[in-house]
Amino acid sequence: MHEKTPLIRLSKREDMPKARVWMIRLGAFIFALLIGMLVFAVAGADPIEAYVTIFKAALGKTTGIRQVVRNAIPLLGTALALAPCFRMRYWNIGAEGQITMGAIAASFFAVHCRNMASLPLLLIMGVGSMVLGGIWSLIPALFKSRWRTNETLFTLMMNYIAIGIAAWLIGGPWEGKPGSQIMPVFSSNAVLPKVLGIQCGWIIVLVLTVVIFVYMRYTKHGYEVQVLGESENTARYAGMNVPKIIMRTAVLSGAICGLVGFLIASGTHGTLYSNVAGGAGFTGITVCWLAQLNPFAMIVIALLLGVLTKGSSTLQTSMAIPASITDIITGIILLCMLGCEFFINYRMHFRENHAKEAK
Amino acid sequence: MKKVFAVILALAMVISLAACGGGNTAPANQNNTNGSNTNNTTPEKPVYNVGMVCIGDENAAYDRNFYMAADAAKAQLAKEGIDINWIYTYHHPEGKEVADDCEELAGEKNCIAVFLNSYGQEPAMLQIAADYPKTVFAGLTNEGSYKDKLDNTINAFPSIYEGRYLAGVAAGCKLNEMIADGTITADKAVIGYVGAYTFAEVVSGYTAFFLGARSVCPTATMIVKFIGSWGDPTMEAATAKDLIDNGAVLISQHSDSTTPATTAQENKVFHVGYNISMSDVAADASIISSRIDWTNFFVKVIRAQVKGEKQDQDYIGHGLKDGDVVLTELNTKIAAKDTVEAIKKAEDAIKAGTLQVFDTSKFTVDGKVVDHAFAVDTDGDFAPDKDEAVFDGAFHESYFQSAPYFALRIDGITLLNEAY
Repeated sequence: MHEKTPLIRLSKREDMPKARVWMIRLGAFIFALLIGMLVFAVAGADPIEAYVTIFKAALGKTTGIRQVVRNAIPLLGTALALAPCFRMRYWNIGAEGQITMGAIAASFFAVHCRNMASLPLLLIMGVGSMVLGGIWSLIPALFKSRWRTNETLFTLMMNYIAIGIAAWLIGGPWEGKPGSQIMPVFSSNAVLPKVLGIQCGWIIVLVLTVVIFVYMRYTKHGYEVQVLGESENTARYAGMNVPKIIMRTAVLSGAICGLVGFLIASGTHGTLYSNVAGGAGFTGITVCWLAQLNPFAMIVIALLLGVLTKGSSTLQTSMAIPASITDIITGIILLCMLGCEFFINYRMHFRENHAKEAK
Repeated sequence: MKKVFAVILALAMVISLAACGGGNTAPANQNNTNGSNTNNTTPEKPVYNVGMVCIGDENAAYDRNFYMAADAAKAQLAKEGIDINWIYTYHHPEGKEVADDCEELAGEKNCIAVFLNSYGQEPAMLQIAADYPKTVFAGLTNEGSYKDKLDNTINAFPSIYEGRYLAGVAAGCKLNEMIADGTITADKAVIGYVGAYTFAEVVSGYTAFFLGARSVCPTATMIVKFIGSWGDPTMEAATAKDLIDNGAVLISQHSDSTTPATTAQENKVFHVGYNISMSDVAADASIISSRIDWTNFFVKVIRAQVKGEKQDQDYIGHGLKDGDVVLTELNTKIAAKDTVEAIKKAEDAIKAGTLQVFDTSKFTVDGKVVDHAFAVDTDGDFAPDKDEAVFDGAFHESYFQSAPYFALRIDGITLLNEAY
């Protein structure tokens, strides 16, 4: 009998007190930092000094704080965009492509409406990016609701098409110096103004945070998304139009991603690059999950990742530690943070009787 | 019980980590100090930080060429009593990362000069440069900084086409030798060229190389294939192989890695490199390389910064004559016998000004002699519209601005693809 019991059994639990949950998360974070120390040591750096450098660089100077916020803007925006999709259990892995399409739409107006006044031009760029991002996200959603295609693969594939389109535009119709594969920078009227030395996108994503929070928690749409996420049959039984909800939510998600693309292209780069999303579409997924789909928690996580990114470049310039080492540590932190959710959601049962026998 | 177990486990891990950390840190740190000289600040004498934003790292021939010059410049400046400390960032070809680097190097590390080693980095740098007027930003191989209104942004591009021509002479000598000993017939003297993009810098480079080769081997022809990247080892190797399959018996390149050299070696053809000597990785194939030696430029800019002198906006007209363009050591084991003399002859003629690389009597475009081409773009549409480059019987490259502008498609060179 005992031989057949596995050494460790798992059972689902939902009763863990809040304080305990946060203890585990904090513990996981500290655990990750400890492993990180090992990585630093292997790379030949003083681990304590390395951590101090990261946080000093990111939070000690105005330029550092600005860069942290700049890093966090696309991550927060993307995570917010993905939250309704994930709540619905619709796996939108296509944020990268939707961001890119948004940036392409913004660049289109930046190129073709060069002589417009700044404010209307920026508005058109913003709206255009949301429309194209939304359309890009609608395509897989349409297929999903019509023919039940797998949205994970579909949205993923759409990323590469979008990036390919951007690369073609940069090297083709919008190319600057022949052969350079680089698009000239936008004229100044197509560049987002700065507030406190940082592109004003940070205000936009903060407003979005509140909007998404309200949308998910207090609106009929948010409720429908939640019900659908819990059980599609329940949603149907309650008379909800499932395909419509899927498509509506996907479009919303794509539109916000598109807007993020506009913020990056116009606010950060001032031009279009084929890797304009720069991985934010994927890192945003992690931010979204780490925050447990809570918009306000996303701010914290996005900033934390912003700090690590900034810290990694300073480690390179201050201590000659390759930036990839910090990427490893970021990965470890994310893994531990996501991994600890396992211990929060499941109870582990060791094979206790057997252990007693062994004594 | 479980809790106690967990606590003990955690403690054990912490202690083991600390032990590992302690053990590894000390020797590793020493290495660090020796390698990068970051800690040798002496209080009496200032050590100036100088930054470089790199498109790749030391694994790319292109970037390694910059580090060689950076070290040489540091040594030379030290002799003049100016101590500098290089700070590098890596793998940032464009965009936000470059802007962040500039901000960090100028704003946080107080670098007196920041060099950006790739074309694509300049636009991002120009967004930041105005905020740090005390730092000079040099967009190497680009042309936007000298044209803008900022005094602290400059450009530089030594006249590498001269070096390319000489490297081409070495290639031509080898082709002649192969024809003479019967390895190939005269009509099979095909050079294969791995190009990055259909970009003026690349076009100017392969054309100069070809003209050099043809100056000694009149039957030489060239096929060019573009890879759509400044450096992509796999793609460069595949393209070199493709060129060899298309009949190339000698490979040259305008791309950042050494894989065209190793591919040439594997396929028993010859090779002429760029940026660094590639004879060490392909001893039986790579004959010689041309390279830009950035030392003079680095020294000049940094010295001017330290002394508070005004910077030149564009570093025009520095080539073989000044030692800003050089050839690497000739691989005498495989080079044709008369190579040294042939190179010497061409080099002296270029230095004396009696030989023009783009002598319009030596090439045609669509069968016609070129009598007109503009050099510089002034209205921002990237089509040159000012300054007649063709005069005195030659196309004057890097004469009106340091960045190359020769973009003519001359006869005798076949482009296998023009997608990039």
